[in-house]
Formats: sequence, C-alpha cells, structure tokens
Amino acid sequence: MAVSKCSRLSGALVKQLLESVDSVLFDCDGVIWRGDQAIPGAPEVINLLKKSGKKVFFVTNNSTKTRKMYADKLGKLGFDASEEEVFGTAYCSAMYLKTVCRLQGKVYLIGSHAMRQELEAMCIQQVGVGPDPVSGGQSDWANVPLDPDVKAVLVGFDEHFSYMKLNRALQYLCDPECQFVGTNTDTRLPLEGGKAVPGTGCLLKSVETAAQRQAQVVGKPSNFMFECVADQFGLDPSKCLMVGDRLDTDIMLGSNCGLKTLLTLTGVSTVADAEAHQRSGCPHRQKMVPDYYVDSIAEILPALQG
Amino acid sequence: MAGGGGGGGGCRRVRGPELRELLDSKRDVLFDCDGVIWNGEAAVAGAPEAVRLLKQRGKRVFFVTNNCTRPRGNYAHKFSRLGFSDVSEEDIFSSAYCSAAYLRDVARLSGKVFAIGCQGVLQELRDAGVDVVAEDSAEGPDTSIYDCPLDPDVRAVLVGYDEKFNFMKLAKACCYLRDSECLFLATDPDPWHPLRGGRVTPGSGSLTAALETASSRKATVIGKPSRFMFECIASQFDLDPAQSLMVGDRLETDILFGANCGLCTVLTLTGVSTMEQAQEYKDSEAPEKKDFVPDYVVESIADFSEALEDE
Repeated sequence: MAVSKCSRLSGALVKQLLESVDSVLFDCDGVIWRGDQAIPGAPEVINLLKKSGKKVFFVTNNSTKTRKMYADKLGKLGFDASEEEVFGTAYCSAMYLKTVCRLQGKVYLIGSHAMRQELEAMCIQQVGVGPDPVSGGQSDWANVPLDPDVKAVLVGFDEHFSYMKLNRALQYLCDPECQFVGTNTDTRLPLEGGKAVPGTGCLLKSVETAAQRQAQVVGKPSNFMFECVADQFGLDPSKCLMVGDRLDTDIMLGSNCGLKTLLTLTGVSTVADAEAHQRSGCPHRQKMVPDYYVDSIAEILPALQG
Repeated sequence: MAGGGGGGGGCRRVRGPELRELLDSKRDVLFDCDGVIWNGEAAVAGAPEAVRLLKQRGKRVFFVTNNCTRPRGNYAHKFSRLGFSDVSEEDIFSSAYCSAAYLRDVARLSGKVFAIGCQGVLQELRDAGVDVVAEDSAEGPDTSIYDCPLDPDVRAVLVGYDEKFNFMKLAKACCYLRDSECLFLATDPDPWHPLRGGRVTPGSGSLTAALETASSRKATVIGKPSRFMFECIASQFDLDPAQSLMVGDRLETDILFGANCGLCTVLTLTGVSTMEQAQEYKDSEAPEKKDFVPDYVVESIADFSEALEDE
C-alpha cells in the first residue's frame, strides 16, 4: 500500500484499497450515522461490502446500548448487520472483565442498564446500577455498607451519576486489590437529534481523581477493542481497514493494531487536524495520521458498484 | 533561627525553646483546621490552649481551610463548642468565603453565578451579595439531561463540594462554560477528604475534574495551594509573608500553599501527611517537589503550648 499518508482516497485507489483488505471495521457515530439518521449512502456501502465478500464490523465506544440494541438500530436504518458484528463498550468491557481481569466476584457498576445486561449475559453480577441519591451525613457516606463480593469497579456512561455513586466507587477502590475499569475516555456523548452531553470520560476522571488511581480503559484507542473482534473472527490486521471520524480514537486504534486507516469527514476530526499531526515531529501524534480520507463513506460507493 | 519562608525547607522537627524562638519571630500564624486544630468533632488535644497562648503573646491567629461545607458563622460556633474561647468569624477564611470574595471583589461579577455546591458554599455566596443560580433537583418533568433551560444572566460557574452533585448539574455547567467569557472557578482542589477512622470521602477536586474534562477548560482554583486565600486575608489584615507562619497537615495543600505565598511552613502530624511522605519529597530529585517540603515539623500543635508555657 501507499507509503505516503493522509491522501485523499479517490479514483483507482479506492478499488485498490478495497481489494487489499478482507475486513472493514466501522466506527458508528459520525461515520455511518449521526444520532438517529444514517449518513446518506452509508447503508448501501455496508451492504455492498458484504455482498462483495468483505467482513464488516461495527466498533463503538458508546456504552449505552447492548449488541442487540445496536443491531436493532442498524436494521432500522437500513444496514444489513447482525449482533455478532457489533462491538460496543458495554459488551467489550464485560469481555474485558471476564478474560483480562479474570474477575471472580461482583462488579460495582456506574453505568447503564445495557451494561448490566451485557455483564449478566456473561454471568457477572453487578451492584449499583440506577439512581442513587445521597442520604445521611458525611460519616454515613464513609461507612456505606460495602458488598464483600465486589472485586471490581466499572465506570461507563451513567445519567444517574451522583456524589453518592462517586463515593461508593471510592470506598471500593480504597482496596488496591479491587480492579478499576472504564469503558472509554470520550468527553462528549453524541445523542439522537444531534446534541451532545458530557461523556464517560468526565465521570471516569472524577472517580480517578477521588481514588487517585488510573482506570484500565477498554474503549478505543485501546487495542482491546480490535483484539476482541480479531480473536472471535480470526482477523489478519494487515488485511483490515479501520474507518472512523476521530483521529485520537479510531485512527489511533488502527495505527496501534497495524490496520489500514480511513478518516471520514462526516464527524469530529478534520483534514487540518490530521495534517497538523503529520507536520509535528512527534511519534505519538503520527499515529493519528490516517492513510486516507474521504468526505463521506458514500464516496467509496462507485468502486463497489462498478 | 527565624525560618526562611518560601518552601525548600529543612523538614526539621522542632519543639521546646527552638519552637518558641520560631514562634516569637513571627507576628501572624495561619492554621489549617481539619487535622490541625480538630479532627471531626474533637479538638486536637492542646489546640485551644495553643491558640490562646499565641494570642496572649500578641500574635494574630487566622484559620485557613479548604473545607467549604459550612459558612463562617457555623465555623465560629464550632470553635466555641470545641473549647476555643476567642475565635471570631473574621479570623476564619474558608474556600467558600474566599470564592465569594473573589467573585465580588476581584472578578467584580455583574451577573449570576451557576453554583454547584453544598449549603456552605451557597450561603457564603448569598452573604457576599453574589447572585446565585443553583441547580434545583426538583425540576419539572420536561427537564432532562438532554434538554435543560439555561439562565441567560449567568456569567460564572463555581464548583465546590456538593453531596447532591449529579449529571444534570454537570451538563448544565458544561453548557454555561461553552461561553469563553463565562468564568470558571473551583473552591478547592482536594481530591478527597479524610474522615474519622481512616475513611475518605470524595472532595471538590473530583467534581472539578469532571467539569474540566467536560468543558476542556481549566478552573481557577481559589483554595490552597493557590495564593488567593492568602491574598484575601492580606487584603483585610495587612499580612507580611516574612512575618507569617503557615501550619498545616497536608503537604500538597498547606505546605505548598505556604511555599507559593512565601511563608515559613510547619507540618503537624495529627492529620493527613506523614513524616515519611515529607522525607520522600525532600529526597526527590525533581526541583518542584521541594515546595512540598515543610520548613519545620511538630507532632501536634500541643507542642506550641508546651513551648510557650515553658519559660
């Protein structure tokens, strides 16, 4: 493949790139959909890729849905996709606790019901999900009853985040043996309708600060998200293409795992951002330079249709 | 043997005549409270006596605390309850009081402040005449984290210890902070607070961290180790750093504060930090760690009484 980076993907290059890979991994927000609207042309792209024999996967840091919920959303928007092809952080963090942490015991969960469901599907019991308003005084908080079976704290997106939850997490994390896992560090969570709210990264930072401990982070750009897919489907990194809209998560993941990378401009990052990284001498920043970019993934349609 | 101000200190244990000499060389003494003067609802043994003796010798005594859970009036009552006979509200500087003073006198805020904080914080703001918008948890059914009404008069966001902190407050504050003209203040940076029995509770710093991450902005921190609280006291009482002593129990807060303000510092071992931790900073190669090293160390401020009585 081309040695130079950050090239516009067009013309003959498109077919050349597609022929060099057998799997394509897509981020979701800002790549194949925005909120509850598919990016025009995106369903056709995914469906044609599959028809042409490519494996397609969806890799998202969003922890608010189960694989099944994602599959339902994909179906509703016209994408031909199944549960097994979706890798969200609710599912992946349950996998992480099981396979990397080898968790024996319960999880104190700051997160969604989707996360609870994915944990239960992997026979991991959680405590803590749902509203948890404060009561009592300071000495009560320090003395909240702790479940002795809790061996890990997991932090994901939680609209019920509260001081009390932060406090409970802190109490558990005072035990250095208690594992500390976060779904992702994104600072904003995109919503249906185009708005955004503070993301998991803010909640995780809060817990990390109180506990003075660093969490193990499951989501992009951590390699684990790719390894999860690769292990289940026997993927060869050199034959994979990562398509994303964020240089610091999607493209970084691709670079770290030895995948080819394609930036689409329908989301967060811009070409100017990528070129700034490219001009910097910094090796870390070089990992955020994509191989190629397109204005939208719809641009690869002609090559698929031809 | 007047101690050199400004940190980089010798971490030297003092008591008796040496301690008396140190105290005699200073005009003003600033005490942290938690872990120095009291632990929870119990005064540190000998503390009331120490304060009394210092005042008797003509020293001015001030209390400088990051704890923003009560208004000054309540602290004055606590002092009285715990056996301190002569501490008045004017001598007490909490991060909540100083945050309100900052908004009123330094920022000269015209407009409202969206305050995330407990009663102690809100009360100090109101007492200072600052116009406060506090998130009301009893919002209407149409309000959700995805769609909340904003007050157009908000010109500042203040975050402090808040046991009712929730996602809604975080989301609203983040919306206000999108305006780069909107001030962003934090009462104090403490990530956790110690409670009795070795337990801890999340501090203002952990809430500020959430908001800084959400807004991609850094808060202006009022509390120790930032200089502002010293400047607040100095503006009211004409302090001279060279003649002031800072006594605290937390290296990262009190001692660093002393270093930042050019004060001579004393670590007392009745609170958070240990002699070993102080020694670690002293032995460190990194130059910035020197500011965490106290000039002097005492077991407890009861040593002050012992030194002053022993004539």
